Amino acid sequence: MTTRTRAATFALAAAVACNQGLEPALAPTSCPQGFVGVCGTVSFVGQVPESTAKLFVVAFDTFPKSQNDLFKFKPQPSPPNLPLGGPAFFYTLPLPPGRYEWVLAVWQKQGTLSPANADSLLRETGFYSDKGDTTEHGSGIVIVNPGTGTDSIDFVVDFNTMHRVCFYFPPCP
Amino acid sequence: MKRLALPAAALGLWGQVLGAQDAVVYGTVHGESVGPLRSAEVVVIGPNLGTLTDRGGKYRLSRVAPGVVIVRARFIGYVPAFDTVSVAAGDSVEASFVLRPSVTDGLPFVVVGPVVVTAAKRSQLLDQAITSVAVVSDTELARRAVNTVDEAVDKAPGVQFLYGQVNIRGSTGYVQGLGSRVLMLVDGVPANQGDRGGINWDLVPLEDVQRVEIVKGAGSSLYGSAALGGVVNVLTRDIAPGFHARVRATGGSYANPPYDVWRFRDYAGAEEGLDATGSYGTELVRASVTGGGWHSDGYREQDRRDHWQTAAKLDWRPLAAMRVTASGSWASDQYETPLIWCTRGGCDDRGQAYQPFMIDTAGRGAFTRSDKGYVSLTLERTASARLAWQARGSWLRTRFNDYQPGNDDAGIANRFGAELRALAHPAEGRVVTVGAEGARADVTSDIFGDHAQNEVAAYGESEQRVGRARLTAGARIDYIAVDGGGLSAVVSPRVGAVLETSAGAWRASAGRGFRGPSLAERFVSTVVSGLVVIPNPDLHPETAWSFELGNAARIAPAVHADAALFWTEAHDLIEPNVNLSTGQIQFRNVARARLAGLDVSLAASPLTPRLTTALAYTFLYARGLAHDTVPERPLAFRPTHLVTLSADYQWHTVSAGGDFRYTSRFERVELYPGDERVAGKVLDLRVGVERGPLSLRGRLANALNYIYNQVPRTLAPVRTLSVTLTWTY
Repeated sequence: MTTRTRAATFALAAAVACNQGLEPALAPTSCPQGFVGVCGTVSFVGQVPESTAKLFVVAFDTFPKSQNDLFKFKPQPSPPNLPLGGPAFFYTLPLPPGRYEWVLAVWQKQGTLSPANADSLLRETGFYSDKGDTTEHGSGIVIVNPGTGTDSIDFVVDFNTMHRVCFYFPPCP
Repeated sequence: MKRLALPAAALGLWGQVLGAQDAVVYGTVHGESVGPLRSAEVVVIGPNLGTLTDRGGKYRLSRVAPGVVIVRARFIGYVPAFDTVSVAAGDSVEASFVLRPSVTDGLPFVVVGPVVVTAAKRSQLLDQAITSVAVVSDTELARRAVNTVDEAVDKAPGVQFLYGQVNIRGSTGYVQGLGSRVLMLVDGVPANQGDRGGINWDLVPLEDVQRVEIVKGAGSSLYGSAALGGVVNVLTRDIAPGFHARVRATGGSYANPPYDVWRFRDYAGAEEGLDATGSYGTELVRASVTGGGWHSDGYREQDRRDHWQTAAKLDWRPLAAMRVTASGSWASDQYETPLIWCTRGGCDDRGQAYQPFMIDTAGRGAFTRSDKGYVSLTLERTASARLAWQARGSWLRTRFNDYQPGNDDAGIANRFGAELRALAHPAEGRVVTVGAEGARADVTSDIFGDHAQNEVAAYGESEQRVGRARLTAGARIDYIAVDGGGLSAVVSPRVGAVLETSAGAWRASAGRGFRGPSLAERFVSTVVSGLVVIPNPDLHPETAWSFELGNAARIAPAVHADAALFWTEAHDLIEPNVNLSTGQIQFRNVARARLAGLDVSLAASPLTPRLTTALAYTFLYARGLAHDTVPERPLAFRPTHLVTLSADYQWHTVSAGGDFRYTSRFERVELYPGDERVAGKVLDLRVGVERGPLSLRGRLANALNYIYNQVPRTLAPVRTLSVTLTWTY
């Protein structure tokens, strides 16, 4: 190996090595370029319950017609978290292109979640409604187009008005 | 000293080491221009009869079986030397060595010259193996100053670790420890976990490891289940006669995050450890004991770990042609579990999209205790010049307790194994290996239930020399029964050939591998993200055909090259299947995959009189083939390019070197495909100095503090400075 070849080899190695890895990234305030899904701002009302495990945001392409349909949420398997209260928060929810009938925040109580105890551990805490009506689900149709994000899917998380699963699929025990 | 190009026939003929009366081989080992070398290793290859030189560089190997034997002498910083001597019953023969200084012996993973490889269930020259084999020597382990075996093996050509999960040519990907497609052996004894089928890399203290052999490609024709993608054989040290001791103290520090916005603590994390080994041996009985532990603050939030370990080995040689070895180890880890890193809203995110050093608040308090241990007993007997046999039994036990907020899991698993193996030389140029193996795995766990799996197998392989070629053919049949149910059979054939030419040694092989489903995959019953994971007792083994064409050659006096084309077709791969209609996850035999590529390694030893360099490159084409409604797509967590550059410089007793590993960005990942991901570019630097019985080694791992992750939302180790002081008596 010649000196020139040796030097070139080391220079190449050094150049490759000096490239940066992961870097800090500010949370976006609008859908990032190339992002596919929905984005928006969540505002918080009320006191966070002490038994809170987490709060997350999901979407359903059709409104669930039974408890079993609750598992057809997107994205799978782990939807993005929301903070537990505080100032308004900009969220991004990666979703495949399509039509979504329900974008909502779900509060989860501490405990091991299973279909059998979903009613006691999960609450709907707020959802998107394009009419500004925060009480009627199904009024916030969201379209996600290929290759782009859908902005301004804003809604309110109200810890004072959370709904059990049986609220949607009665009767409540 | 006679330096020989060993005649091909000589290797693999350790069956010739026999006889009713013992012989003695004695001599001295000197370093060129430095005089006698103390603690140089001298071994008779094959029966693994070994010793260390005394203060005067003298050694004496008694109880050598008469016949033609190969004696090897080696010492850190010197080129190993070999001699072939003929000893008669009751005779004594001198074999003295003068070793030439070089860094060759420390050359990472590509060892020039005759190397004995036992990973094919018998001794043979490295270049005579029909599949690719990488070797990590004890010199390399010491030079790297690492704590566990996986840290040293990680940079072997074609090998990549993903958060403790080993990949040989992309075999496994990342499946969170469930079902490794690589079989781990400890001195030839299978050591994959009985419940999950995963590997505990800290099972054997690094202090006790002599070397590691990595066999690439399907190895099920000899080793059965799990050897789908390859075999990693961890070989423990032979015990030398006399009293010997070694104490190793390690201290280190982790770099802080390179950006203030990522800071998560106001002090520098540290690690510290202490190991001690003592051994005493006579010509008849030898024993060693190792104990130690280490603590680490970790390099990220909730990452503290304590590790304790002990190991022992007893070697009894009642006859020259008989050896009984008992060994065992126990290790315990108590560690905080840093689960996944925090994303926006999951912690004090400081306005960031993600915080790689912090964890999601939902995972706070997660903790794991993991205990594992094994014992094994091996009897080796050379019955005649044409026949040697070996019998062994083993017991591996693992126990875990996962403490997670609102979700605690626990399990105890056992794996019992037994094997009877014979090595015969029925005719000139022919070597036959036959054996039978049995194993039982059981588990008691709240998530895996109470279950057991029994396996019995028979295998045979024959090598015939024909002119300059060696032809190999063999097969193994495994019967597997779960919970006392019906037997299912798997046949794993393998054929291969090695042809020695002026252009090097050409090798070709085709073999079938398989992996039986782990008890965890069959019977897991738990809840993940609200989805119920249900068992699937009907899982059947996944299989693969592996093909390889390779060449090993010396292309210049100081340059050794090895290249291999490989191709694997995998069927019925076991993957989790998510059914959103029912809210259930179940492991199923669903996937087909193709893994093909090229492995190339070049070693220049030396490039200049004091400098040794090595280059290894793997190109990997890994595709999951279309099945059901899933289209063809890249296999997750497989890099297309894997490059390793190594260099070591030696000046008298001082050495300095480093490795650079480039891993191309994964084309596809699972769980969080939308996350930003980068290529891996990791530079490790090392220095060392030897003075008498002391050795001081420094290591700067990930010297550039390159921030990256390879498994979902799990930060890879940051820059870590460690210093290791070793005292050897």
